[in-house]
Amino acid sequence: MGAVLEVSNLWKFFGKSPVLRGVSFSVGEGEAKVILGPSGAGKSTLLRCINLLIKPDRGSIILDGEEVTAPGVNAARVRSKIGFVFQHFNLFNHLTALENVMLGLIKVKGMNKDDAFKVARESLLSVGISEDLWNKYPAQLSGGQQQRVAIARAIAMSPRLVLFDEPTSALDPELIWEVLGVMEKLSREGMTMIVVTHELGFAMKVADEVVFMDSGAVVERGSPEEVILRPRNERVRRFMERMQYVYSLK
Amino acid sequence: MNGFLTYVPIILMGVWNTLILSTAGFLLATLLGLLMAFTEVFSPKPISIVTDWVARVLRGIPLLLALLLVFYGLPRLGIALPNIASAIIGITIVDSGYQAQLFRGAIEGVGGRQLEAAYSIGLSKWGAFRHVIAPQAFRAALPGWLNEFTIVLKDSSIAYAIGVTELFTQAVHVAQVVLDYLQPLILVSIVYFSICYPLSIISERARRRLLAMGVAAV
Repeated sequence: MGAVLEVSNLWKFFGKSPVLRGVSFSVGEGEAKVILGPSGAGKSTLLRCINLLIKPDRGSIILDGEEVTAPGVNAARVRSKIGFVFQHFNLFNHLTALENVMLGLIKVKGMNKDDAFKVARESLLSVGISEDLWNKYPAQLSGGQQQRVAIARAIAMSPRLVLFDEPTSALDPELIWEVLGVMEKLSREGMTMIVVTHELGFAMKVADEVVFMDSGAVVERGSPEEVILRPRNERVRRFMERMQYVYSLK
Repeated sequence: MNGFLTYVPIILMGVWNTLILSTAGFLLATLLGLLMAFTEVFSPKPISIVTDWVARVLRGIPLLLALLLVFYGLPRLGIALPNIASAIIGITIVDSGYQAQLFRGAIEGVGGRQLEAAYSIGLSKWGAFRHVIAPQAFRAALPGWLNEFTIVLKDSSIAYAIGVTELFTQAVHVAQVVLDYLQPLILVSIVYFSICYPLSIISERARRRLLAMGVAAV
């Protein structure tokens, strides 16, 4: 089975300081990969490189067998095959929930309004956004609702994979579960995804592989049990001890 | 009454020139202002810096000076224009600098997050501008743009200095005939107010509606 995404030896510098230092991994069809690590480890930069919002300085990214880091590749076409869910939702403020989902279908995929509406309806229902919310503007929705609309916007484009950049970090604690629930369901339905998050419970439940990054490099990888419960690397162990303190009730 | 009432229609005839002057000058300034704002936001740095500098200089010119320069100065260079055309050009020049700043703020205020989101669904640069940045920027600029028009409308009275027969000029001329400034000037105050006040109400409503949508007006 060929990999959906292959990242090899990826480097990125901001000025002189390296933000990514030779990151490599691959994501298989239907796989859920969770990336953990402290702030400033380069996790967000990595996701932004994958959908070409940031241009990496060295290394290659291969999506479905096509090297998207090669010169002359149309970034917009590549991005239309990759969903992106942002920490701050980033819904289009001037459009309703429904229009947010339909915009890409009409303007990027060239669908007519009726077809776009049908697809958007399916997507919104699948993330639990009921019809009474479709004509509301983002500012009229709760954070959890906004993030679920953002997920609907991403999956409506039927992407090859979806990237999640700390999708629950800006949410009220009580709203986190509804977003994580949608993501878990999405993964069970076979969506390929890379999730940057601090939600260890989600990683334990959903991740096929956990990758731990620190200072721009992958320092440990493995099953969630291995990386989260029995880390070998000293840096990872310290991180997990602190997380245990924050999240465990014992 | 010292015969003032018979002159009221003469004063009110000036309204047309005031409206022509301010609307034409304002809309031309909008075109120029948009052009400068786009150049500042979307061109390479050197061009952007020069444009910003030009807009700054334009904002620094007093309107009275601009009017006199165009009407009395340009004939020395062989360009003699009628006074109403001079007034329109003067207003356009000065106000375009302000509108450039208004539109630029509106475009930049939409923010990088909206742009990233637009790119992330596969929109091209132009598509992102057309469907995400521009609609939000125009909404954000609307209240300030309406306010700007009320300022231009009132400032157009400075065209008095080059003898354009607009509202204020007519009032002063009538005042000199009836030997009373108070009544004519109160009348023109009421006219300016009754045009500006509804506009500022509309502007305020737009601002509040935008805020409810999560778009901060400039």
